[in-house]
Amino acid sequence: MSKIYQAIVVGAGPAGSSAALVMARAGLDVALVERGVFPGEKNMFGGVLHRLPSLEELFPDFWDRAALGRHIVKKGVTFMTGDSSFTTTIESGNFDKTPFNGYSIFRPRFDNWLAQEAVKSGATLITRATVEDLVYKNGKLAGVSIVGRTGELLAPIVIAADGVLSFIAKKAGLRQPIFNPAQMAVGVKALIDMPREMIDDRFGLVREQGFANEFVGCTAGVRGGGFLYTNYDSLSVGLVFHLASLRVSGKTPYDLLNAFMEQPQLAKMISGGKLQEYSAHLIPEGGYDMIPELVGDGILVAGDAAALCNATGLNLEGINLASQSGVLAGKAVIEAHQNKDFSKQGLSLYKKLMEESYVLKDLKLYRKAPHMLHNDRIYNEYPELMCSFMEYIYRIDGAPKENLSKLFLKSAKEKVGLGNLLADGFSAWRAL
Amino acid sequence: MNIDEIFDNTSFTIDREPHIVVNYEICTGCDNRGCVNSCPARCYTWSDEDQKMTFVHDGCLECGTCYVVCHRDAFTRWRYPRGGFGVAYRMT
Repeated sequence: MSKIYQAIVVGAGPAGSSAALVMARAGLDVALVERGVFPGEKNMFGGVLHRLPSLEELFPDFWDRAALGRHIVKKGVTFMTGDSSFTTTIESGNFDKTPFNGYSIFRPRFDNWLAQEAVKSGATLITRATVEDLVYKNGKLAGVSIVGRTGELLAPIVIAADGVLSFIAKKAGLRQPIFNPAQMAVGVKALIDMPREMIDDRFGLVREQGFANEFVGCTAGVRGGGFLYTNYDSLSVGLVFHLASLRVSGKTPYDLLNAFMEQPQLAKMISGGKLQEYSAHLIPEGGYDMIPELVGDGILVAGDAAALCNATGLNLEGINLASQSGVLAGKAVIEAHQNKDFSKQGLSLYKKLMEESYVLKDLKLYRKAPHMLHNDRIYNEYPELMCSFMEYIYRIDGAPKENLSKLFLKSAKEKVGLGNLLADGFSAWRAL
Repeated sequence: MNIDEIFDNTSFTIDREPHIVVNYEICTGCDNRGCVNSCPARCYTWSDEDQKMTFVHDGCLECGTCYVVCHRDAFTRWRYPRGGFGVAYRMT
């Protein structure tokens, strides 16, 4: 038997649940369809949850209610080679004051919490439901069908928040039929159990404070980087690789992760911990140029499905953009219901709101960042240059000193080439 | 760390019916086979001796890496597992 709703959201991640929440609060009868046993069961990420302006507007007490971990007061960047590392960290008093700048979270908890908030507002959550196809009636989008279930879910509008591969956007003809591996990254992560006191002592944290660190030079020449961040009583350690680079490298993600965890400085950070869970996920890293058509007749695309991810090399944003796009998609659907117009034109408010919001503005601003990051020197030569130069500065062994700027240029010339140094500096300046 | 240990820690509810079906004939003629090294879950194995690909869906993390790196479209089927099946993350 088919069930009729006013809107169907495919995927109960940050984009989908945000959309469902907004629509349910406006009184629409919304189905939030999730393939996991519970929302968040299939989700992982390797980073920090940043401010969510759209959800903070919906819940003034958002940060008191959400299922969060430690708030990040200390952020670091490490340039790493086989046995050396050079780290800079920023720890700021402002990062220790509310509203906090970022949190570590567990997706199976956070995503589930957000979906349950949508349910409290009146959305119908349907779990264990993998969407098979879009259903069309009289030439119009009319709903979705579910793998292994008879009957359809019907609604005049579908929001595709079904994640990075978005088969819904593909079926609707909104995304590129074949992905370019150069626009995708894969992240792998190990969750390592560790007593809370050990984490606090080791990383210099008190109360609920957390630490997040990015690494470059830890991927054996594959374009990518590493991360480590603290949860209450575990560490999340992982690597992210550009898929085009990983594919031709012949190296495997798990061997590289293993080597990363055995690098002497990293091994000390995680020693005494116990491996609990291994996970992997794709990241749409193509930036602005990868964004599909956001609106079609009867359909909107949000979150990872719309490739809304901002990777500049220093920050990696996704959940904030997903949630914002979900809220804006929800608003467009509310308007479409008021006007009884579910055509592409009737839903065009979504595109307009997206263009006015920081989501598309930021992605447009950093449009060149993905190209800048496709530079092998960032992942090999520069980390080596940083480590060897710093090692020289601090080595005092009776050998006569050299002028430091001359020495830097000399080692840069050896490792990178001065022309490349200039070109890379220019490219980074233009991209960021 | 023992690599095998990595895979043993993740939970799955395995569906008997695979959500990914590979046409091995296409793999035999492939000049790249980036799936073998790129898959984070070690689901693809290439045998040089038999000139044959083997795919096992049991430990699939549903990340989509193979779907993106395969430039020969060797998939007879590529969809997510039926609702309630597949990988089950607890704290990631």
